[in-house]
Amino acid sequence: MQRPDRREANQIRSLHCALGQLSRTDGSAQFSSGRTSVLCGIYGPVDVKVYDEQLDRAHIEVKVRPDIGIPTTKDKWVESAVRSTFEKEILAQLHPRTLIQINLQVRENDGSADAIAINATTMGLIDAGVPLKCTVAAAACAVMGDGCVVVDPTKEEVEKAVSTHTFAFDNGSLDGPVYVDSRGRFSMSEYNACYDLCRLTCDRVLAFMRTALESKIQKETAISAV
Amino acid sequence: MADTKVVIPGDIIDTTTHMETGDEDSVVRLGPGLTQINDSVTSFSAGVLHDNAETHQHWVVSNKRRYVPSEGEPVVGVVMARHGEGYRVDIGSAHDALLSLLAFEGATKRNKPNLAIGTVVYGRVVVANPVMDPEIECYNSNTGKAEGYGELSSGFTFKCSLGLARRLMDAQAPVLSALGSEVPFEAAVGLNGRVWVHAETPAATILVANAIRNSEFLDARQTKQMVKELLERQ
Repeated sequence: MQRPDRREANQIRSLHCALGQLSRTDGSAQFSSGRTSVLCGIYGPVDVKVYDEQLDRAHIEVKVRPDIGIPTTKDKWVESAVRSTFEKEILAQLHPRTLIQINLQVRENDGSADAIAINATTMGLIDAGVPLKCTVAAAACAVMGDGCVVVDPTKEEVEKAVSTHTFAFDNGSLDGPVYVDSRGRFSMSEYNACYDLCRLTCDRVLAFMRTALESKIQKETAISAV
Repeated sequence: MADTKVVIPGDIIDTTTHMETGDEDSVVRLGPGLTQINDSVTSFSAGVLHDNAETHQHWVVSNKRRYVPSEGEPVVGVVMARHGEGYRVDIGSAHDALLSLLAFEGATKRNKPNLAIGTVVYGRVVVANPVMDPEIECYNSNTGKAEGYGELSSGFTFKCSLGLARRLMDAQAPVLSALGSEVPFEAAVGLNGRVWVHAETPAATILVANAIRNSEFLDARQTKQMVKELLERQ
């Protein structure tokens, strides 16, 4: 089966990442895969409302804005996905009685926006210098009608898919994903195929993230060393 | 640069590189950006890994925009409120810092400084602790002398990244030496990413502020050129 944009089944779209583009946030990142693009702005650690204050850890707040219109239940779902993923990854106990706010703006959604949102959040948090246990990368894949498993599906493919799966892995633990989301009807073998494919893709995304961060940091240190 | 080692969160750091045989029991000291997770030393921020072979210290240098107070660091703050025995000063961290009325040179119970809200002060962090509000003081409590700390009157304050503020702390910073040879000015650099500058005329103050802000992504040679161009345009 041929994919609409003539990619291989295990081929992701071209990745792009820009760090620190927003001047007023503490850290920001734009992460794109093909036409899907998410902008992430981080504030933190900042002062927290008394209502949200936690005495032993930072409160983590996530806000997702879609590309068009007002936030819907689907965006709330992405919010809770990002929050539950990063609550385990952020070393929140280092900044008690503070707030770490993660703002996500979907700039264009051409499928796999939830995985891209997690990737953008990772890069934003790193840019802001928020202490993270591990670097997290996410990937999405879809099982098509003919049983074919394709990675990083476009919107067109998601609409036709029988089931879609999103996995996130980190670079620290070799066991198990840090986030899983599966929708639709699928068999265990299809799930396993998706798991393996996403695991492989996450390794590639992690390598991409490392290169992006290295080039940014090396640029900065080259200046200060002179 | 080949000798800089960049780490990202989750990287495991090998702390045994400089250890000689028989040295295995010596204490390893972890600085900013590193922590112990299970049995291994792991980085939790992205930056350049540094180590000191003699003291077995390891730390990560990274650039940020949000200040987290740390003891002994000089900061530039703005007085936000006054209450009973002190001021609340915004130093850019999550919580406002406390500044005691007695933490000034020559201050006594009868003779206290009177700072208006909005005053810019240069102080040093004395209490920095995640579970307490930070505290600053505008004198050296050991000597009782101001040592340059205190109220910063007139002048202009602006924000920059914490990395640039750290570089400006060096008296040999290229932008400061390039400016200093042409324009007389005063500057107070806070490690919280706030810089106060004051020159004879408002135009000169703005020039100095712009030059410092522009130097964020320039190396020494480019900085000199940039300062030269700014001075010519004036």
